[in-house]
Amino acid sequence: MSVILEARGVDKRFGGVAAVERLSFCVDAGELVGLIGPNGAGKTTVFNLVTGVHRPTAGEILHRGTRISGCDPTAIARRGIARTFQNIRLFPSLTVLEHILVAQACRATVRATQFWPFRTAGERERRRQALAVLDGVGLSARRDEAATHLPYGAQRRLEIARALATGPELLLLDEPAAGLNDTETADLRRLLDALRAQGYTILLVEHDMKLVMQVCSRILVLNFGRLIASGPPAQVRSDPGVIDAYLGVAH
Amino acid sequence: MNVYYEGVLASMGINILLALSAYAMLATDRLSLGNAGFMAIGAYVSSFLTVELGWNLYPALAAGACAAAVTGALVGLPVLRLQGIYFVMGTLAFGEVVRTFFQNFEPTGGAYGMRGMSGTSLEMIAAFVAVFVLLFLAFEVSRAGRAAYAVRDDDQAARSIGINVTGARLLALVSGALIAGIAGALFAHYALYIESGNFNFLVSANAVLFVILGGMQTFWGAVLGAVIFTLLPEALRFLADWRLSAYGALLVALMVLRPEGLLTRTFLIRLWRARSGRDAA
Amino acid sequence: MLGQQLVNGITLGSTYALIAIGYTLVLGVLKKLNIAHGELFMVGAFAGIALAALGAPLPVNLAAAFAVAGLVAVAVERVCFHPLRHASFLSPMLTTIAFGILLQNVATQMFGSEPSRFPHSAEPQQFAIGSLSISAVQIAILATAFTLMFGLDLLVRRTRWGIALRATSDDPETAAQHGVHPSRITITTFFVSGALAGVAGVLTTLVYSQVTPLIGIRQGLIGMVAIVIGGLGNLRGAMIGGLALGLIETMNDAYFYAGYRDFVIFSVFFAFLIFKPEGLFPAQAGR
Repeated sequence: MSVILEARGVDKRFGGVAAVERLSFCVDAGELVGLIGPNGAGKTTVFNLVTGVHRPTAGEILHRGTRISGCDPTAIARRGIARTFQNIRLFPSLTVLEHILVAQACRATVRATQFWPFRTAGERERRRQALAVLDGVGLSARRDEAATHLPYGAQRRLEIARALATGPELLLLDEPAAGLNDTETADLRRLLDALRAQGYTILLVEHDMKLVMQVCSRILVLNFGRLIASGPPAQVRSDPGVIDAYLGVAH
Repeated sequence: MNVYYEGVLASMGINILLALSAYAMLATDRLSLGNAGFMAIGAYVSSFLTVELGWNLYPALAAGACAAAVTGALVGLPVLRLQGIYFVMGTLAFGEVVRTFFQNFEPTGGAYGMRGMSGTSLEMIAAFVAVFVLLFLAFEVSRAGRAAYAVRDDDQAARSIGINVTGARLLALVSGALIAGIAGALFAHYALYIESGNFNFLVSANAVLFVILGGMQTFWGAVLGAVIFTLLPEALRFLADWRLSAYGALLVALMVLRPEGLLTRTFLIRLWRARSGRDAA
Repeated sequence: MLGQQLVNGITLGSTYALIAIGYTLVLGVLKKLNIAHGELFMVGAFAGIALAALGAPLPVNLAAAFAVAGLVAVAVERVCFHPLRHASFLSPMLTTIAFGILLQNVATQMFGSEPSRFPHSAEPQQFAIGSLSISAVQIAILATAFTLMFGLDLLVRRTRWGIALRATSDDPETAAQHGVHPSRITITTFFVSGALAGVAGVLTTLVYSQVTPLIGIRQGLIGMVAIVIGGLGNLRGAMIGGLALGLIETMNDAYFYAGYRDFVIFSVFFAFLIFKPEGLFPAQAGR
């Protein structure tokens, strides 16, 4: 199996505070890996390190064997690593469909044509593809609505669709089930299964343990910025260190 | 045409160009209070070329605009690293450095200013305004225009989908500088006389106010703002001596009462829908 | 010669420091820039001149400038900042530009665009200390400016108001939860910031002997340069930044060329923003 993402001894300090310490892990192609841990364990920091928002204080992050720590977020997105945000970040000026169209440009090879104002055949084709992406998350009927007027669950799905529209191979989803009701969570679970079936590699930060245990093939557990366990759901669930971390037992 | 009206229309045209120059930056969520500096570069470079070297107006104008754009590119890279208030102050500082430079630069007249320029006609100003309005219109409906909206709304999310945010901002700054340079060159060859005081902080500030008051969700807001706020002081002439104070009070009132500006994108879209709806019926 | 320039530079710089302090106070509490701040300087100068024209002595002129500019600053807060307190930092900042334009135009209407002056009562008295000569006006400026600066420093460090101000500056929400009235702190801060700028207006006009409705643009920018040199959000840094600028200006005039004065100052401003935006005394260190 080929390794898509690898972290090697990554440290991240903010001032004197260590958010992530000596973190090493791998994500293989086609895996759906869960990244869990109590609040403040450093999960979102890991996402920000992988996507280039933060630079590691030490260590390195590799994408398909190439070092990406130190690259800017734009370059990393263009390599095929897409993400969603814990607090939804949509563009208030754009409609639902425009969110997909604007993200499609990510993998374009010729960028100068983006200034062309007229609807070309290529543009019509891109609109068709965009609608297909929206179909996949059940939003094609609302394509002309202002994105920020959508209900909460639909906003979460649109964020995933926007990430998918960049044509990624690795998806980083930051608490996609946060704030969703049971029906919406079930929809999300189907979506995750479908994405996995389509061959996407996914790294998932999530607090909904039921969902994590159901969909993930492997789980990484962080506590105070350190990796304290990793393995299949059943193994992680019975790991005494993990139970301690979640119940707050002192070491 | 009556000289008075011609003068008002000419300054309206130049104000539209300045507003578009300020809009270019604001469209990527960066506020520049230094565009008068680019205007000064366009004005002085073109004037030097026509007056001292006897160039034809058009190549001189092009050279002035290019000088402003190149300066924009050189200054843009370091200045764009600044955030928030620091960026605003950085552009402000740049504008003042340029102004005080020309105040002392003897080859372009120093404190005495420059005279001897001529050749800008109202038609010429109108043509440039038309060209840039068309360019902005084309940009706004292009994919790059959509990306600019994304950058303005949330630059971190824009980066996460592979938009080159710094590149977009640099491009905006350079285009803004180019347009301000053209405005400066046109202004110099219309006013016939320039001095460094013509390019002070208030000129940059006014350009930004035109955009904000007109509405910064679409470039039409910048155009509308420049038109209204060029005409307003003229329309207030009935207030005689108090007209400029009334103008200032109106600016403040509008800023507070309608911070989103007069023209919004939703309004334009509704207008567009209503029209196409009627066409379909 | 150098000693004399130092005296002149510190005198001028102390007036710049008074302007800079006002920016810092507002920036500290609201994290927003009041671009009409220079106009408060202008308002103070005109208030002083108006009273002087009626025959009032200098202390009364200063008190009038203090009160009038302070009240106009409160008006700036109520009009430009309070209604837009939930908007991004840009909206109130741009509104203050419009307010500044309003103040310029009102002043032009009331006092004309030609320079206004203080009526000269007597030949300025000169004192000699060794080879230094210092005028009564300079002594008055130094005494007023430094009294105000030390007084403010004490207020901020020692009084309940100062504690509330610093708490609001660090974390407005937590401060509000602990009984600090944010609106009251903001209003008093604006009053103090405007009052100091107004006093600076009178003091500077005493030296340069004239003031125009547009003088606030330059003085406001100078204050901004001072806070950037001193480090944004740092009160003592603002004072030192102001003094440093006064020295730069007089040294430039004495040893370089007076025409380049503002070019030098704004180049220093630009250079600081690009290479050392945190200033000489970054905020944490100075408190």
